[in-house]
Amino acid sequence: MRTKVSFLDHGILWAGVIFLLMPLWIAFASSTHTAEYIANEGVQFWFGDNFINTYSGLLNGTSSIFLEKGDNNVTGTGAWIMLKNSLILGFGFAIGKIIFSMLAAYAIVYFRFPLANLFFWIIFASLLLPLEVRIIPSYEIVASMGLVNTYTGLILPLIASATATFFFRQFYLSVPEELIEAARLDNAGPVRFFLDILLPLSKTMIAAIFIIMFVVGWNQYLWPILMTTDSSFNTLLLGIKNIVNVIDEGKIPAYNRVFALSVLAVTPPVLIVIFFQRWFIKGLVETEK
Amino acid sequence: MKKQQFQHSALPYFLIAPQLLIILIFFVWPALQSVQLSLYLEDPWGLSSTFVGLDNYTDALSSDYYHQSALFTLIFSSAVTFFSLALALLLAVKADKVIHAQTSYKILLIWPYAVAPAVAGLIGIFLFDSHVGPLYHLLNQLWAFDHKLDPTDATLALILMSVWKQISINFVYFLAGLQSIPRAVKEAAAIDCQSSFKRFWSIDFPLLAPTTFFLLVINITYAFFETFGIIDTLTRGAPGGETTSLVYKVYRDGFIGADLGGSSAQSVILMVFVMALTVVQFRFIERKIHY
Amino acid sequence: MLNTHFKKALSAAVLSTAAAGSAQAATEISWWHAMGGQLGETVNTISKDFNASQSSCVIKPTYKGSYEEAMTAGIAAFRARQSPNIIQIFDAGAATIINAPGAAYPVADLLRENGQTFDSQDYIAGVRNFYADAEGKMIGMPFNASTPVLYYNKALLEKAGVKPPKTWEEFEAIAPKLKDAGVIALSQSHTPWIFSENFHSRHNLQLSDANNGFSGVATEIKYNNPEMIRHFDKMKSWKDNGWYGYYGSNWGDNRTPFEKKEVAMWLGSSGSFGGLKTTAKFDFGTTYLPYWNSITQGKEYNTFIGGAALFAFSGKDKAQNTCTADFFAYMSAPKTQVFWHKETGYVPITKAAYEAAQAEGYYNREPSAEVGIQQLSLPGGEWTKGYRLGFYVQIRDVMKREYDKLFNGDIDAAQAFSTIEAEGDKLLGKFAKTLGKQNVAKN
Repeated sequence: MRTKVSFLDHGILWAGVIFLLMPLWIAFASSTHTAEYIANEGVQFWFGDNFINTYSGLLNGTSSIFLEKGDNNVTGTGAWIMLKNSLILGFGFAIGKIIFSMLAAYAIVYFRFPLANLFFWIIFASLLLPLEVRIIPSYEIVASMGLVNTYTGLILPLIASATATFFFRQFYLSVPEELIEAARLDNAGPVRFFLDILLPLSKTMIAAIFIIMFVVGWNQYLWPILMTTDSSFNTLLLGIKNIVNVIDEGKIPAYNRVFALSVLAVTPPVLIVIFFQRWFIKGLVETEK
Repeated sequence: MKKQQFQHSALPYFLIAPQLLIILIFFVWPALQSVQLSLYLEDPWGLSSTFVGLDNYTDALSSDYYHQSALFTLIFSSAVTFFSLALALLLAVKADKVIHAQTSYKILLIWPYAVAPAVAGLIGIFLFDSHVGPLYHLLNQLWAFDHKLDPTDATLALILMSVWKQISINFVYFLAGLQSIPRAVKEAAAIDCQSSFKRFWSIDFPLLAPTTFFLLVINITYAFFETFGIIDTLTRGAPGGETTSLVYKVYRDGFIGADLGGSSAQSVILMVFVMALTVVQFRFIERKIHY
Repeated sequence: MLNTHFKKALSAAVLSTAAAGSAQAATEISWWHAMGGQLGETVNTISKDFNASQSSCVIKPTYKGSYEEAMTAGIAAFRARQSPNIIQIFDAGAATIINAPGAAYPVADLLRENGQTFDSQDYIAGVRNFYADAEGKMIGMPFNASTPVLYYNKALLEKAGVKPPKTWEEFEAIAPKLKDAGVIALSQSHTPWIFSENFHSRHNLQLSDANNGFSGVATEIKYNNPEMIRHFDKMKSWKDNGWYGYYGSNWGDNRTPFEKKEVAMWLGSSGSFGGLKTTAKFDFGTTYLPYWNSITQGKEYNTFIGGAALFAFSGKDKAQNTCTADFFAYMSAPKTQVFWHKETGYVPITKAAYEAAQAEGYYNREPSAEVGIQQLSLPGGEWTKGYRLGFYVQIRDVMKREYDKLFNGDIDAAQAFSTIEAEGDKLLGKFAKTLGKQNVAKN
């Protein structure tokens, strides 16, 4: 039995939808106008006819995110390059994290071995201190290993956190005990049990964690600033950071391209969340249990 | 842990080694260095240093600015947590009622989860821009809104962008929580109690308590740490330093001001705070598991 | 006929192999800077021109964010022995690098020891001192040197029937007229730089102990003085009268109202000239930073430079240092300086460059562009060389905080400066401690 859905209920939901959608809508609509138009008329709620011009200039790096001078020889890092780096960071981080965490969680939950408890606590201690507050010592270590300006140096230190291990541990703990007993009766060893039983069972979980971790990796903000000194490693978020710096210094940004860069910086993770929302929600909710 | 476990001498070490190694190198070692740095006053280039014992801690804890930051963090975190939970709960309750369009609503409400805090902050800059921003003009009509000068207005702008980004994840959990309430309970309640408002607060909400508590911890962590990107883009701790959260202060003192010792001491203090929070979270989760 | 063709082909082949050979042998040096936007593009142009001008060195500029972020990136890199060859460090960070012997390779030594000549007398006076050590040896190579100047909207001033003020007394006389004409008289970017540091220079007031930090490590800041308190009390009353617009602590927020013609005069950097030329759609003029006649008794003192300098990191090999020296020589050459000066509005750092700009008649076309350098060349006093204070980035943060509160009406000037003094002294004391035992190995 369900209560009747009133007009008011839909009204509230729509108010919520509009509240959430509006900032991005404004960014997208404004990005299709010219910079001068926005500077004079304010941000826009409807589309202009400068869409192709804005985005192609930005992606190819033929127009920078700053207002250009008369002689147009200004080039910046093309957003294609930033897009590529953000994708590498997002995928590399998510995949690396899933592999390492799955294995570690498997060892913690399914094996009895000396020092297990100690290892467990060492790994979980990493939940305690976000990268922002230990960033300089972390940088020194990565740099002394010669990993500055490498994707490895960009990605590995970010993986040093136990969030995904924690999720997998919770998930394994909820897997029925009978399965391991059955596996034993079948004489299946730990490797076969993992590959034939646990891995197929974890599919939804892996998908969910992949989405969460992709978003986390993609959205990294402070670490790439320090870790990369070569503009060929610039990510979209680094581009965003640079815009903010330049605005603070009093330079007028090309509003349309700034909005376009924001749109580019949110589109891939948003699409992933939307397309895989079923897994994403299922995974999130199950880890809570 | 499982009652049934595999016995294997080498395999578990092999499985746990990659994760453990990464954590030791990239977490434990830098964290220990932070603790060590917090006991020294070190020249930024690492050329010389003086051992100062706990001076960095007493300096931080006795400074008015630190107290101000702590107070801001408390107010800001409470507001973000409260509003994002309340709005998400309202939306989840409404979404739980609709049947046909539920998936569409879900999609329309969960996507801000994927937006980076820094991008939220950047969009905020333009929404609140005194020349091109619609939100500035709207609020300025209502009262003399100026987030560049008035700390309360700046805090309001930060709260708005932070809540905007956080509603979706809370919505997902609340909706799942509501949907896991057994049908029979709902039906019985509907017969007993005619007012749906009353019914929600006496039946549904208590059943959501575990979810709410879990989200409370998640949201406090979010407001403390992840809003960094929003603060760093939208206000940079201004005006009057009154929107400087504790995490942002660690960053300003250490990363911008090159005071490694002072900044490390503050991160250690934060570490202790997060540790306490994690213990609470852990005990709670463990308790739920052992039902 | 055939012979000449053959010769041409041969010489072309020889040339191209020589070019390829030298391209391979070219030494690469890195330069981290904080010049975003158009300035960054100009930096890239200078680097490209340098690379094209010779074949043994290749310079790679990298934008590392704001001044503070670039400095931190350099610090972190130095600690990890991954430092770039050249780093741009801003005025407020100068003490951090100059007081750390061993971090920077003094530019005076670098140039002399690597095949270039160096004479500090070639540099204009206001530029020479700021990045030099206690003995006057230049440690950093001034790069983007600027100084605070007053920009005014000619049409708005004319409409109100007033002239740009020379002194703050004159300002108080014209501000009401501008208000009657419907505009705010003044806005200003960067209160710590213009109204704190340069306020002291312009009025020849002492800024800290230890000779403004030049003769030793300063531990006492002297901002809490009657002149400063009076000036800020005045400014607060100007704001309450609607003569002065305070738009927060961000540089850009205070500049935009001038560009939008809401404000008639703006105090900014001489380095803002190039940008204003493209963004301000009206005729503007430039003049000196006003001063209080009542404080200086009619005398006028120079301001000192702001902006940033380039520092060469120590510990690089000889080939790289030679390239760094070559680049510094190229950068300070009149041709490059005049280009940089005209493109950005930053002042030329050498006398030769200043003369070259004069000679080509640049200032006849753009009289406003000369104001910065003329102001820097005004007669100096005891306290007008600059300052060298540790943890100054954080001290500026304290000032920004307190000034926000002051203009917001939460506190008065006396309270603001007693907080600035207390927290400033504490930070200076802390910085002195970091230098405690020099050369004690890390860890």
